[in-house]
Amino acid sequence: MSTAPVTSTTVIRTAAKAKRARSRRPMLLALEIGVPVLLLLAWWFGSLNSTDPFFPPLRDIVAEFQRLWLFDKFASDVLPSIGNFVLAYLIACAIGISLGILLGLSKPLFWILDPIVQFVRSIPAVALLPIFIATMGFGNEVRVFAIALASIFPVLISTIDGVRAAEPLLLETARVYRLTRWERLRDIYIPAASPQIFAGALVSLQVAFIVMITSEMMGAARGIGALTLLAQGSFDVKGMWAGIVLLGILGYLANLVFTLVRRRALAWYLGAQKAASAD
Amino acid sequence: MKPSRRTGRIAAAPILFGALGIVLLLVAWQWGSTRVTSEGALPAIPIVAQALGGLFAEGAFWTDVLLTLGIALLGWAIAAVVGVALGVLVGTSDIVFSATRVVLEFLRPIPAIVILPLAMLVLGPTGEMGVFLVVFGVMLPIAAQTAAGVESIDPVMRNTARSFGMKSGEILWRVILPGASPFIGTAMRVAAPVTLIMAVVAGMLGGAPGIGSALTVAQSSGRSDLIFAYVVVLGVLGLLVQAAAGRTERRLLHWHSSYRKGN
Repeated sequence: MSTAPVTSTTVIRTAAKAKRARSRRPMLLALEIGVPVLLLLAWWFGSLNSTDPFFPPLRDIVAEFQRLWLFDKFASDVLPSIGNFVLAYLIACAIGISLGILLGLSKPLFWILDPIVQFVRSIPAVALLPIFIATMGFGNEVRVFAIALASIFPVLISTIDGVRAAEPLLLETARVYRLTRWERLRDIYIPAASPQIFAGALVSLQVAFIVMITSEMMGAARGIGALTLLAQGSFDVKGMWAGIVLLGILGYLANLVFTLVRRRALAWYLGAQKAASAD
Repeated sequence: MKPSRRTGRIAAAPILFGALGIVLLLVAWQWGSTRVTSEGALPAIPIVAQALGGLFAEGAFWTDVLLTLGIALLGWAIAAVVGVALGVLVGTSDIVFSATRVVLEFLRPIPAIVILPLAMLVLGPTGEMGVFLVVFGVMLPIAAQTAAGVESIDPVMRNTARSFGMKSGEILWRVILPGASPFIGTAMRVAAPVTLIMAVVAGMLGGAPGIGSALTVAQSSGRSDLIFAYVVVLGVLGLLVQAAAGRTERRLLHWHSSYRKGN
């Protein structure tokens, strides 16, 4: 009895959606592609004769972008930045996930570390940088360490939550089947926690990106962030814009790669979710 | 009697263990500071506590705290108004949705710090620059969540409102916004720590007034005791902001069904 209204609602909803989508799809698709193209064209031609010191012509920005990053400073500044970022992020994920599983499984350990974790993670990650610089200097290793430490917390906390929220029924079943500790970890805890782990890892990715740029802006000689801020400081507006564009593209790409990996790794989960919402 | 004593013991254990963890950390810190004291890089706990006490006695410190919180809060409010308006537009009209989809999808994952050099150049080391960065940092996630919330509203509810003769403004106010409010509430709560981060970054790198620039001054003058004191203050501020955001969300949205079940 109680399911009847829900079903009819869903039927109405999907029918209306399908109808709407059919009749207006070509126009919407044109809009989806047309508007970004129009915006870019408007920027290109609108700024062509721009004399505004802050907003140079897009043509000059593209030219500067090409001159700087393809491939003059590519090996000396872009690659080290990306390398630091990827290395630190992978370290953060590895430590965050393994420590998270450990803390999720062992209550006393979780109790000991929980207040510290809660406090440190509520410090804005970039504010930790001065501490590292003051205590350890400003080598490249320190920067990797700082990025890794700052981006551990999101993935650590979501891993703990995911492991602790593992279905009790599954765990009891595992006990009945006498799975070993290792089998339980591999076949139950990690798959059960993986959607949450990925959610935390995405936040970690963004934190790592922010700390990477900030660490370079705080007085490094090399790197995309350093060059961009240097250009800003010397009123090289085109160079600054080229840096901003590159950082924007890199931020977008990092997110894209993450989304692809997640879709691959969580295919079973996303499929199940879609099936559940289709009912 | 027995079960209650048992639960009491279970509740006490985490606190005891937690206190143990904090004590261990403090001991390790103190021990570390005595080991590297020759460089003066890692200040001992009493020195940091002294610096903290000195800060509390200063009027300028409290101005900094208020400025940082003010920048974060103002940016948060502006981002909320603009983001929710944008999200409602995107969520209710498929024309706006298609027109903005590619642009928003491209801009959303890009961290706001990317725009910092431009903001510094145009606005200079001012509070407005900080507010701008905060708005830039949290507006699009709020808009995206709002749009998702608007789309999650049952069309039957909207149709019912229309057949009751409600005007579209009234539908917006009484059906769409309340229906999307859990999504908006979550987005606002998630955005709260980010606003603090952006306010601090704007100060650290861009010289906007507040704790961020005070931290940079402490760093460039080599006062590591002050650096540690400021970081502790920022941690406490972060905890407070998170707690306040979570409480406000529950307060304001207690009536919604997704907040009523269980707790």
